[in-house]
Amino acid sequence: MNAVEVSHITKTFGALKAVDDVSFAVEQGAIFGLLGPNGAGKTTTIRIMLDIFRPDTGTTQILGGAMSEAKKERIGYMPEERGLYQDISLERCLLYLASLKGVSSNEARCRAQNYLERFDLLSHKRKKVKELSKGMQQKAQIIATMLHEPELLIVDEPFSGLDPVNTQMVKDLLREQRQKGVTILLCSHQMHQVEELCDRLVLIDHGKVMLYGPLEQIRRQYAGNAILLKTNGEIPPLPGVIESVSQNSLTRLALANGANPQDILQTLVMQGVIVEQFEIALPTLDEIFIQVVSGKGKIL
Amino acid sequence: MYKTRLVLQHEVRTILTSKSFLFSVFGIPLIGAILFGLASLLNQDTRASSVVNVLLNNPNQKQANGYIDQSGLIQNLPENLPPHALIAYPDETAARQAAAAGEIDGFYLIPRDYLQTGRLTYVTTDYSPLRDRSSSWLIEHVLRLNLLGSDAQLAARVAVPLNVELKPLAPDTQRDDDNPLTFFLPYSVAIAFYIVILSAASLLLSSIANEKETRVIEMLMSSVTPLQLLTGKIIGLGIVGLLQTAVWLSISYVLMRLSGSAFELPQAFQLPISFFVWGGIFFLFGYAVYASLMAGLGALVPNLREAHQATTIVVAPLIVPLVFIMILIKEPNGVVAVALSLFPLTAPVAMMTRLAAANNIAWWQPAAAVVLLAITTVLIVRAVARMFRAQILLSGQTFKTKLFFRALFGKN
Repeated sequence: MNAVEVSHITKTFGALKAVDDVSFAVEQGAIFGLLGPNGAGKTTTIRIMLDIFRPDTGTTQILGGAMSEAKKERIGYMPEERGLYQDISLERCLLYLASLKGVSSNEARCRAQNYLERFDLLSHKRKKVKELSKGMQQKAQIIATMLHEPELLIVDEPFSGLDPVNTQMVKDLLREQRQKGVTILLCSHQMHQVEELCDRLVLIDHGKVMLYGPLEQIRRQYAGNAILLKTNGEIPPLPGVIESVSQNSLTRLALANGANPQDILQTLVMQGVIVEQFEIALPTLDEIFIQVVSGKGKIL
Repeated sequence: MYKTRLVLQHEVRTILTSKSFLFSVFGIPLIGAILFGLASLLNQDTRASSVVNVLLNNPNQKQANGYIDQSGLIQNLPENLPPHALIAYPDETAARQAAAAGEIDGFYLIPRDYLQTGRLTYVTTDYSPLRDRSSSWLIEHVLRLNLLGSDAQLAARVAVPLNVELKPLAPDTQRDDDNPLTFFLPYSVAIAFYIVILSAASLLLSSIANEKETRVIEMLMSSVTPLQLLTGKIIGLGIVGLLQTAVWLSISYVLMRLSGSAFELPQAFQLPISFFVWGGIFFLFGYAVYASLMAGLGALVPNLREAHQATTIVVAPLIVPLVFIMILIKEPNGVVAVALSLFPLTAPVAMMTRLAAANNIAWWQPAAAVVLLAITTVLIVRAVARMFRAQILLSGQTFKTKLFFRALFGKN
């Protein structure tokens, strides 16, 4: 079952087509990546999903139906441009935002206590938000997004401004949420984070879908004919290898068209070379992103 | 409705706990109260010590004086006399020595024939031609007490023999052009309405611009609709505005009571109950119109700084009655006054000014003004609700007057 279904949505602002026939679906309980360069149309797509903007054409189905006022309470949204009331205490700010999501004051206070403790912010709860550091405000923003225990979590650049320790904390929290069955739509420019967390993704550029599907499938789709190899000695000349480049402790061998990686492995073994590591070289998400956005990729 | 109420509660609580608001509600009247209290204290001894006297005299001076009573009149000094305020000396030589040593500022010489002539001499080390006669209040008080056989009550009565309460035989309902109230009463009403409507409406502008600037608006948009947000803010901040007015009025009333005064206007200047009823109606509609316009402005501006710069556009119609204030007061039934009090954007201030300036305004005029104002309120609230869309609220473009009017008239 899909938690989100976006079907052929289009949105135009004046002469700008911000979203152009975008479609994708997010399975319930998955972590889904929504990627794209700045101005690609990601935020507009999210705002359409949340019914903040109405699409010119197309439809969205959220949590099994059309978006409604009641459903807003089942969704947590952390926008890219963070926003918390600066002149009130952290606790009051969290409780107010939770109350707008339908959480009772007592329940919200109890949950806030737990989250603040977990994120090491408990001693700061009476401080005004503007008195907190940037990193603390970022953590507070994450708490504000989760305090009403949403079924669908939309987080835009959740790791921005966080140090490695807090980044790990947020990652653990997202994984924990997935284990609880929460569907997570993650927008990020940090591709290694997306690679680490997401099962599936959609990449949008200039309002159009450029890539869509399971992460592994996309990486294989963009894999060139190459292998990564680590041996105990020098690599002898091999038939079918057109280029050999050192990559850290590995050697990347680019293969000619029609050359089979299994044949290469067999030749190495037959020549008595001890193979310590052998794998098909898959591109990183970063590489795919650059390739697609720079116009060298395959358009779906 | 539930979320509107949450927004309303949040707005009221946020404003009521903000330091700047608390200062404007309590601090300003408190400063007024302190000044008022000081003036009252000084006035309690008006015969004894005027403000001029206090200003002329050096506050660091001991204010000690001496006296030489050659007449033998002074037998008793008042019980509540501060120590060393008035020191008796046996002769002029001793008094002069004390003055030269700086122990006293000067001394009174009460001659033997004082009872016949009433004359006495004051010898001072610090001669000032501007010295007020009332600086001799203490010796006056002492002499009066002793002249009356040390009867303090009688002395007080002789000092202030009259406390006249004026009661006209036939109340004069005609206002006198020379009476300052003819100008100041309607002028005060105009200023009060201008301040109350503007300050309440400005809270809305600040609130929305602040949410845009701090980016909270997008978080809110994922929880409430723009209309819920707008409604909650207008009602909540309207309540705050009313509360602020009520506090100011209450403090003014309490201060007057504490000072022993009462706000009793002459018969010709007394405002009828209907004035206050119209006042309530014009405040509500005036606030709704200007608060909505401010909300529209807040929706368009990217930050607080630009919000305050852009306020002029909205405030301009509210200032117009103040520009024509003399005409409104002198010719309350003239063409300009009638036109300004019927035009919805100027009506709240102009009509209330006219109602305070004259008691012969045709009843249909405030009624017609209210109807026109009510229609305008509905149209403006609708227009602003259209402006109050997520697309505008979430945009960060620089404010342009043209954009404001285009948005207001639904042309974008």
